[in-house]
Amino acid sequence: MSSIGTGYDLSASQFSPDGRVFQVEYAMKAVENSGTVIGLKGSDGIVLAAEKLILSKLHEPSTNQRIFNIDQHIGMAFSGLIADARQIVQIARREAAEYRQQYRLSIPLKYLNDRVSMYMHAYTLYSAIRPYGCSVILSGYENGEPVMYTIDPSGVSYGNLGCATGKAKQSAKTEIEKLKLSQMPCRELVKEAAKIIYLVHDELKDKNFELELSWVCKDSNGHHQRVPENVYQEAEKAAKQAMEADSESDNEDM
Amino acid sequence: MSSILCPEIPSPGFSFENCRRNAMLEVKGHAMPKAQKTGTTIVGIIYKDGVILGADTRATEDTTVADKNCEKIHYLAPNMYCCGAGTAADTEMTTQMVASQLELHRLYTNRVVRVATANQMLKQYLFRYQGYIGAALVLGGVDSTGPNLYCIYPHGSTDKLPYTTMGSGSLAAMAVFESRWKPDLEEAEGIKLVRDAIAAGIFNDLGSGSNVDVCVIKKGSVDYKRTYDEANIKGQKQNSYKYPRGVTDVLSTKVVDIEEVSVRVIGAPEDMEIA
Amino acid sequence: MELANDWMNAAHSTGTSIMAATFDGGVVVGADSRTTTGAYIANRVTDKLTKVTDHIYCCRSGSAADTQAIADIVGYHLEFHSMELGEEPLVEVGANVFKELCYNYRDSLSAGILVAGWDKKHGGQIYSIPIGGMCVKQSVSIGGSGSSYVYGYVDSNYKLNMTKDECVKFVITTLALAMSRDGSSGGVVRVGIITEKGVERKVVLGDELPKFFEE
Repeated sequence: MSSIGTGYDLSASQFSPDGRVFQVEYAMKAVENSGTVIGLKGSDGIVLAAEKLILSKLHEPSTNQRIFNIDQHIGMAFSGLIADARQIVQIARREAAEYRQQYRLSIPLKYLNDRVSMYMHAYTLYSAIRPYGCSVILSGYENGEPVMYTIDPSGVSYGNLGCATGKAKQSAKTEIEKLKLSQMPCRELVKEAAKIIYLVHDELKDKNFELELSWVCKDSNGHHQRVPENVYQEAEKAAKQAMEADSESDNEDM
Repeated sequence: MSSILCPEIPSPGFSFENCRRNAMLEVKGHAMPKAQKTGTTIVGIIYKDGVILGADTRATEDTTVADKNCEKIHYLAPNMYCCGAGTAADTEMTTQMVASQLELHRLYTNRVVRVATANQMLKQYLFRYQGYIGAALVLGGVDSTGPNLYCIYPHGSTDKLPYTTMGSGSLAAMAVFESRWKPDLEEAEGIKLVRDAIAAGIFNDLGSGSNVDVCVIKKGSVDYKRTYDEANIKGQKQNSYKYPRGVTDVLSTKVVDIEEVSVRVIGAPEDMEIA
Repeated sequence: MELANDWMNAAHSTGTSIMAATFDGGVVVGADSRTTTGAYIANRVTDKLTKVTDHIYCCRSGSAADTQAIADIVGYHLEFHSMELGEEPLVEVGANVFKELCYNYRDSLSAGILVAGWDKKHGGQIYSIPIGGMCVKQSVSIGGSGSSYVYGYVDSNYKLNMTKDECVKFVITTLALAMSRDGSSGGVVRVGIITEKGVERKVVLGDELPKFFEE
């Protein structure tokens, strides 16, 4: 960020001479400071996984969630500022409910994505407000098809097969690219997702973290929900084993 | 009862509370002032090359004829006219309002405005006022789709028809159309038919009278025949029944001088009492 | 003395016979063509089958002004909706938008509407929205003042999975029966056949209607 301090970064409603909006870029920095979140689209559904960093020893597990239900068939995971994200969750839920009220149909994810990304984009246009400091991943399962989108603080959105945001998004993306996503069912993806979160977690900088896992797939009847306890345990076990195997092989190399 | 979960929805659209109050007062015996109504016969037909509109020219206030030669065929656009029945002020103002909107629309789009557009504007305007604007209209015109004729009721419902009548004389006029209208009439036949329909209204309906106005709209031209026919010209008397001068006998004569009287006011007028 | 007749200011209502019936591959809608103001027939060739989208039609009964306004508004909503989604709206969605308006404005509207159409997901469907704003899905539905005379006929003669021609004949016969017994229904029978291919319109003139026992 060579241009810091040139005075063009004070407002979201002003470009810098080289055509950038610094407030939006700073918002992306806020996203990069938070724990990693990934989304994987498999053959029969989508798995969301989040690395929830625990900053206090007094933190109670399973609070401060980072994956939310938006509608019966839609989930949202975020990385970035939790308070900002909760506002986005709220408007997404309202959009979904209003759509259902008006059309007696569950909202198509494409449509929800349009609405939420337009909403986030609006916050990058005015000097009196700041952009949202979070990226969100929307996952849904409609008409037997899994769908997933990510939205950046800039309001840009992408449709994805696999995605990652947060601290270790680069290494997470590299890991995701190794998978043959389209041939994997959700049951396997859950394990892979857990493995990736454990793998990209930086033990030196952040000591504790809690793994959050959710899916929306055929097995869950098209509903978005946290994965069942036994599946969660299995996935976490697989992840931990993989980590141990990894470190053993590292030792052998030495 | 209003709550967060079940908010009270504010009543949408206009408030007709005062209309309901007035209706109640009327029932209790406070009569409303009578508006000028055009107890009317208005008609329209589609013929071979376009549309012909017709109207009588009587405006009434209760049973009094308020205007013996009023104009009921209103201008909307160069290719469109509109006959109005019902409350005279309402038909006049409604058509003027829509005429202005249509002119703006023509300037925005740089196209000849369509009759369907005028129809939609009128019906949406009237529907908003839930029938309290007492305008019953026959809208006719020619546009890129050909001749169009619509019938618009005060509550905002519309019909698209090849021939139509409106107003208190509509039954008499419709009887003429039902027996004689056919597709692809020649212009002369069409005008004759419209005249006869209006004449039927003038002669058989108390609310209609005086003259016949006709307006012929073709692609590219309008022929507004104001006072096309005086349906009811007074007949010529066979004889003169005037008495010649000097017929009455003078029995006696008395001449009286006019006295001159003058009045002078004495003293200032009293001060006005202010209390 | 009031010179302008009362019916000039009376609301236009379509004292009506309307109906819709599903068959194999689509749905048939039908209506009579009479619009009345009091005792006067204001329009004897009315089209009460109103297009909402390419594959959704509605049959209107009740106040003409109200139902025309509702149909216009729903048409606008659905066109906007299909542009946002990039696909044709489902019949269910259309019916729900109708219901939403009819229910929210139930105190100021008098409208009884049948929404019928075809969509890729569920094929031919009919939704009945009577005065008050309820919405129910039905395989066959009748409405308007003329319907009371033919409930029995419909119950005894309607069958699921008829062919198109059988269904059209059934609709015409039912409406002809309703029109002959209901004073405020009459004129011609208008029919619309909605299938995957779109809509096919038919008119049965007054002298071509099926005849029944008369003495």
